[in-house]
Amino acid sequence: MSRAELDLQAALRDLGAHLDLPPTPDLAAAVATRLREAPAPAPSPAPRRPWWLPGWRRLALAGMAAVLLAAAVLVVSPGTREAVARRLGLRGVDIRIGGERPTPTVTTRPGERLELGLGERVTLAEARRRAAFPVLVPTAAGFQRPDAVYVNPDQPLGGRVDFVFRARPGLPASPYTDAGLLVTQFQGTLTPDFVKKVVAGGLVEEVQVAGQPGYWFSGEPHFFTYVDRGGQLNDERTRLAGNTLVWQAGALTLRLEGQISRQEALRIAASMR
Amino acid sequence: MEGRPLDDQELVEQARGGDARAYEALVRRYQDLAFRTAYVIAGSAADAEDAAQEGFVKAWYALSRFRAGAAFRPWLLTIVANEARNRRRSGRRQDDLTLRVAEDRPSGDAAPSPEAAALAGEQRRLLLAAVGRLGEADRQVIACRYFLDLSEAEMAGALGCRPGTVKSRLSRALGRLRAAMAEPVEVRE
Repeated sequence: MSRAELDLQAALRDLGAHLDLPPTPDLAAAVATRLREAPAPAPSPAPRRPWWLPGWRRLALAGMAAVLLAAAVLVVSPGTREAVARRLGLRGVDIRIGGERPTPTVTTRPGERLELGLGERVTLAEARRRAAFPVLVPTAAGFQRPDAVYVNPDQPLGGRVDFVFRARPGLPASPYTDAGLLVTQFQGTLTPDFVKKVVAGGLVEEVQVAGQPGYWFSGEPHFFTYVDRGGQLNDERTRLAGNTLVWQAGALTLRLEGQISRQEALRIAASMR
Repeated sequence: MEGRPLDDQELVEQARGGDARAYEALVRRYQDLAFRTAYVIAGSAADAEDAAQEGFVKAWYALSRFRAGAAFRPWLLTIVANEARNRRRSGRRQDDLTLRVAEDRPSGDAAPSPEAAALAGEQRRLLLAAVGRLGEADRQVIACRYFLDLSEAEMAGALGCRPGTVKSRLSRALGRLRAAMAEPVEVRE
């Protein structure tokens, strides 16, 4: 290296030492506050790993770039998943498009009662009492009273509440849940990946519910992974799911599944109070 | 309990186990570096604060994907710099990075004479002006190396390029800086 080069580098270092940079704000305090407001489930790998079927992440990664869908489609790689989910303000749902298809562990046979990973069957009042969050109920006509209410106060963190609406005229039974409509709510802010969705051939559209972000899955069924009733982290189940709307309402993340139109799903979702 | 401060790896391990206090210690340790790196990339203090804060929060959520034993600083700077770039891109076109040379505050025995201090200050301002005439990529690589004193791995993370290309980028930027310094400088009366 020539003398002139060394001089220039020394001069640049000297300049760096004499720059008038803006003072660093107290980021540690701001970050600590944000982590307290939305405490991450311990980010240790141990409790998260069971969420993934063996070898799944690796395979999904390999095929990641394969599928490109039409506009308004979200692509989330494991590396940027949290970033994208956060940017869009939707928490607790891991959406992946393309890549390897997972193997369903819950087979769906029409007419058969399915294990949906629901908690304990309770009354709505009991669910409200036991959930750690204010439970939202649809106010849209015909959906104000769920046919069955389930609560699981421990799984995921902060608990979850499920409503089942039986199939009826105008609300066909979903071949994947055997119900007319399944509505799930949990505190997504506490649970980065409570449910996983892998879309292999269907469509994901970005939507808004009462001004908050959401996604509408339609077309071909997608793969839906959730924790089973026992709440054991290993107890994950993957099944096929039909038309589904996931959206955020404040700290809550909600999921609505049924063979209904996007418009109808959005109408029910927007009516939840 | 010994008084030795925990090193990065120990803090990262504890933070991965969900210890927010350990993570706070890491934030405290690197907030200066993160903020300055974001400032070099985003070009404004407000965006830099935003980007650094968001980067730290995202890094916390991403800790489970942090490879045990890897160096924390380059990984963190990659996340923070991404945030800074997003803000630069998404925001209105920001002013270019504005840097100023601090006034020398002579003190102690080694204090230069007022004349020498003025000369040194003038030379720094000329050099800074030449850096300012470079393109964004050149400015950033020079700032990362000489103003922030980042390692090659950290520069690669901050600049979003492969570690193997850092050296050649830097050398090209220095070449253009020399050319910029040779240009006639407009002197403001």
